Amino acid sequence: MAYTYETLPVYDNLDRFSFAVEVKDTFFIRKGKMIAYYGNLRFEAVGKSVLDMVVQHTFNAPLHANSFVTVNGQGKLVLGDNYNDINSFDLTDGILTIKSGHVLGFDSHLVCRESIVPGYLTLMGTGRFIASSCSPVFFLEPPCRVDERALLGWADMPCPYFYYDYSYIRSLASMLGSVAGVTSTGEEKQVDFTGKGTVLIQSQEIMPSLQ
Amino acid sequence: MPSYSLTNEKLLQVVAQNDEIYSKRGSMIAYKGSFNFARAHLIGGSIQQAAMRAVTREGLQLMSATGSGEIYYAHLGKFITIISLNGETMYVESDSVIAFDKRLRADTMFLGNQGIQGLIRGATAGQGLFTTTLSGRGELAIISDGNAIALDVTSDRTLFVDPNAYIGHKGQLTSTTVFDVSWKNLIGQGSGESFQLKFTGTGTVYIQASER
Amino acid sequence: MSGFQLANDRLLQVTLQNEKVMSKSGAMVAYDGSIKFDKALTGGEGILGVLKRTVTGESFNLMTASGTGKIYFAHRAREISIISLQGDKFFVESRCLLAFDQSLKTNTAFAGLRGATTGQGLFTTTIEGNGNLAVISHGSLLEFQVTPQYPLFVDPDAFIGYRGSISQEFIFDVNWKTFIGQTSGESFQLKFSGQGIVYIQPSETK
Repeated sequence: MAYTYETLPVYDNLDRFSFAVEVKDTFFIRKGKMIAYYGNLRFEAVGKSVLDMVVQHTFNAPLHANSFVTVNGQGKLVLGDNYNDINSFDLTDGILTIKSGHVLGFDSHLVCRESIVPGYLTLMGTGRFIASSCSPVFFLEPPCRVDERALLGWADMPCPYFYYDYSYIRSLASMLGSVAGVTSTGEEKQVDFTGKGTVLIQSQEIMPSLQ
Repeated sequence: MPSYSLTNEKLLQVVAQNDEIYSKRGSMIAYKGSFNFARAHLIGGSIQQAAMRAVTREGLQLMSATGSGEIYYAHLGKFITIISLNGETMYVESDSVIAFDKRLRADTMFLGNQGIQGLIRGATAGQGLFTTTLSGRGELAIISDGNAIALDVTSDRTLFVDPNAYIGHKGQLTSTTVFDVSWKNLIGQGSGESFQLKFTGTGTVYIQASER
Repeated sequence: MSGFQLANDRLLQVTLQNEKVMSKSGAMVAYDGSIKFDKALTGGEGILGVLKRTVTGESFNLMTASGTGKIYFAHRAREISIISLQGDKFFVESRCLLAFDQSLKTNTAFAGLRGATTGQGLFTTTIEGNGNLAVISHGSLLEFQVTPQYPLFVDPDAFIGYRGSISQEFIFDVNWKTFIGQTSGESFQLKFSGQGIVYIQPSETK
């Protein structure tokens, strides 16, 4: 049951928590998420190479670019992210916004931008990307409300807004006599989605949104 | 009657039709439909609205959801297991309950009241000093580190359990703490347990594959 | 030989019939029957082994469980894999060993010049003989073959163990350094060449 260079998939999960990619065209990988590889691979920090031109166009997100490297050469590498589920997503002329720390890799055909929502990246166009999640991803159709810690991202839909559950807060406030004790669990302040599209949710993360 | 199902091992879905569901505060992660949420408190044998008492660490802090639609519960990536009760009583560590509904009668037991044994169990295990009991006909969901495993106890097979792995039990079981001197010697600085929980009788014990 | 089975992927069930099994200290979560627990001085390598470990600072706290009954072992809800040895030798990070048959012998082997960065000693544990052992991994255990044609490069935090005729090298690669994210403290890779199998976990957590 051991994998060899030949038997490693070209682009597929090995199991829920790991993913194998054959390096051919330029691929962006998040630093520190590669656990093993076969072959001769070269890793270059994004923005420090001949590929600068490509980078400026495809990856115009200076705050996040630092966390990624480009991989070149001939070989197959395996990605893993701290026991989180890993899935590959195909975008066909689509637009998907996802928590930045969960983006593990994407091909250079996709355009990656910093979302206006802090902590999220927006991927656009046609191409493939690999993302991790804390529990298998669950898809929900709007209208719905989601705890931000459990939110992974959203696709093909308008940007969500925050919804404050006033009746919930009000009863608490009348009890305490002040709003100071309100905690920001998913019951008081939620992310509200309307319109048409898909919302991606996961079990809550143990750490606050990963960078 | 609400219906419970697992969308995956870490996500619980409850479909409600004008029902009232109680859940661990902070574990509701998404919902569709219309619900009224309020804080609730389980202390002694009754669930009271939080407005009736000052903020306190006693009892079980809950949230009640009333209405119709779908609610999703999860808690920090822990595994969820749905347990059905058919008139029996389930004892479960208060921290490990994620959701249950009005069909079940809920009670909390302050372990300190059980004398030395209860205090020891609570204090050294580092968990809350509370056990929640749920009885009647209905469903509840528990959380665990890794999948929960159900171990049957029969009259001819006693079961010994590491208190940190213990989640809950149901059936006609008696639990006692056992101080095993040989076990005490083995515990390194990390693990604080120098005793085991012994179960005799007939029933099922639920454990998790982890020290808390 | 005691019966090693997985009760689920995070819980190891060992059935003993008047036998002994060695395990990580404190890893017992439940048992039935009559079992006695004792501290084990070493994994069978004698006093020399203890001294070696003290020098290298490796912490490998073992206990023995003996008697008749069923014991359940687990560690922090990590996934467990059972590996059967038939006279061969398995090199493994001691922190990843959960339990093993009394018939297997453990020892330490010099692993080469490794920096102090990984927080591990310069030695790795070897376990050999005929019997079963259980390893824990953060995520399912992945096995990769190493052949003369294709050596394997591995992130040290992901490394669990190997078997076969493999040589392990530390690669201090400037190229690799650029790859290091904030979470990863490793400034080197492990390179495995020869013929054999390397076991890794899909995680950076120790």
